[in-house]
Amino acid sequence: MKRKLFTLGFLTLALVALTLGSAWAKTVRIGLMCPLTGSWASEGQDMKQIVELLAAETNKAGGVGGDQVEIVIEDDGGDPRQAALAATRLTTKEISAVIGTYGSSVTEASQNIYAESGILQVATGSTAIRLSEKNLPLFFRTCPRDDEQGMVAAKTLSALGFAKIAILHDNTSYAKGLADEAKSLLEKEGKTIAFFDALTPGERDYNAILTKLKSAAPDVVFFTGYYPEAGMLLRQKMEMGWNVPMLGGDATNNPDLVKIAGNKAAEGFMFLSPPVPADLDTPEAKAFMDAYKAKYGTAPGSVWAVLAGDAYRVIVEAIAKSKETSGEKLAAYLKTELKDFSGLTGKISFNDKGDRVGDLYRVYKVDAAGAFVLQP
Amino acid sequence: MEEFFQQLTNGLAVGGIYALIALGYTMVYGVMKLINFAHGDLFTIGAYLGLTLLVSFGLFDKIGPLPAVILLAVMVMILVAIIGAVLERVAYKPLRHSPRLSAVVSALGASIFFQNAIMAIYSPKFLVYPHDILPKAAVNILGLDIPIMRIILFMTSLVLMLALYFFIQKTKIGTAIRAAAIDQGAAKLMGINVDRVIMLVFCIGPALGGAAGLMVGLYYGQINFSMGWMYGLKAFTAAILGGIGNIPGAMVGGLLLGVIEALGAAYISIAWKDAIAFCVLILILIVRPTGLLGERVAEKV
Repeated sequence: MKRKLFTLGFLTLALVALTLGSAWAKTVRIGLMCPLTGSWASEGQDMKQIVELLAAETNKAGGVGGDQVEIVIEDDGGDPRQAALAATRLTTKEISAVIGTYGSSVTEASQNIYAESGILQVATGSTAIRLSEKNLPLFFRTCPRDDEQGMVAAKTLSALGFAKIAILHDNTSYAKGLADEAKSLLEKEGKTIAFFDALTPGERDYNAILTKLKSAAPDVVFFTGYYPEAGMLLRQKMEMGWNVPMLGGDATNNPDLVKIAGNKAAEGFMFLSPPVPADLDTPEAKAFMDAYKAKYGTAPGSVWAVLAGDAYRVIVEAIAKSKETSGEKLAAYLKTELKDFSGLTGKISFNDKGDRVGDLYRVYKVDAAGAFVLQP
Repeated sequence: MEEFFQQLTNGLAVGGIYALIALGYTMVYGVMKLINFAHGDLFTIGAYLGLTLLVSFGLFDKIGPLPAVILLAVMVMILVAIIGAVLERVAYKPLRHSPRLSAVVSALGASIFFQNAIMAIYSPKFLVYPHDILPKAAVNILGLDIPIMRIILFMTSLVLMLALYFFIQKTKIGTAIRAAAIDQGAAKLMGINVDRVIMLVFCIGPALGGAAGLMVGLYYGQINFSMGWMYGLKAFTAAILGGIGNIPGAMVGGLLLGVIEALGAAYISIAWKDAIAFCVLILILIVRPTGLLGERVAEKV
């Protein structure tokens, strides 16, 4: 009898401990640093929505190894100074890893802060080469590097048969890096660079620049800057009655480009980019797109925000498989064991520098209806 | 040579907008010795209100382009004038007798408030005026193809500036504004209601800024919540260049800044065009510290 009571008591205790235990289950905190305000705010808002959606899905499916995921968000404002503050704040919030951010110069301002605190960082839209050449072992990115894009740009321009090329950037570290890279590759191939200069982003009137560009009489204009300026350039180029073909870098990949330029002006514009969300054809991507549309009503704006989703997924995968949350262990897992992980934007593996491996770039062309059409 | 004239028209088109915004800075400074940093954001509000009114009333389909633009301009100017007057009431009037620095901080705060309010109401995305609502034709003047809209844009800013100039110089209210600008205390003793003059200045300046915002929206199409910063900065520079507090100075300064930028971009370097414009500004201020048309401040002995 005594023994029975003892067993019963023991079982009750065990049950209580179990229930309490699951209530006490620790949460895995993942930081997200993105531009919720500032001129890239629309990218940042998408990043936030995507990561929150994915985290909710993870939690509904039971979390990571039984632990719930909590996303801690800080706004970097698309500004390096604000990013440094945001990063410092995040390091005090017991996060295991951080996702972000979009602009290269903004990410750069935060890199050392995370590195010193031993936090794994997975950048999403920062393609500048030097970010992964600093020997920071905890830095990763789900986007490709500019030198890869420069190579694709030079190849594409040659394949299309252009000989006299104008290159225009906007003096941001990303756009200038890409412009320099493409210029040196094109010069090696014996192409003429008829024009090489930068515009000031954020302005409305680019007629002065277009007038000067026109007098250089190039076969094609390669613009390495962002979509708001590309849209204005296309629109004012048409109003000038000058129909030179234009090729854009991956920062022009945003549906707002067509809205700004108008269908007529945007038609025929080509750009390089990782595949846009609608062209992602993995089962994961399709399920994700459906869930996103169901929750927010529209498709995500650009592929850069989707890359934040991939950053989230590799972090969660690393935590789940390695059962670790320290930056070093996670980094080791991502570099050595994660191979061909099925991401939203295709297969993901990382090299020793933390760069994503693989051929991601495609050429897109805007059709008469303003849609982005993948070129074979 | 053709390129030179082309660039000249490019510069004048941009400069006309700068001048129109610069008037708001210079008028407020003239009367209150305050730099109204929220002025660039009132310009943005003009652009957004214009878009809202245009889309919600469908004016262009109902009454045709020209009456629609005029009606739109009148509505936007009235609304932005009201916002300007409220801004004065809320952010500047309580600080009228505080140190000048308090008012400047209040102005910066108002600017941040407006910018974020626009973002919260209209979303951070770029908004676009409907395409093809305005004629796209170009006229040929002296061998140059100049878009007709650009001429209208330039003429409109010129007309608004001249109207303001004659209003200030020839009417009784204008005289009161000038009197308040010279000496508020003395103006009060002469029976001028200085509070009302300041209120009026805060209606006219923002109304012109709002009109500039509408023009930028209609002509360039793309607007976003932070556009007032760049335009505000340039217009402020233009006001200094022409001599702050001086109305013809703001017009000359604006046009000159636009032309310097365009020619600097054309003949020296595009990437350096802002640096060139500011170098010219510094040179002019070294030679004439009060700006091109600024009046010499009498030295107090």
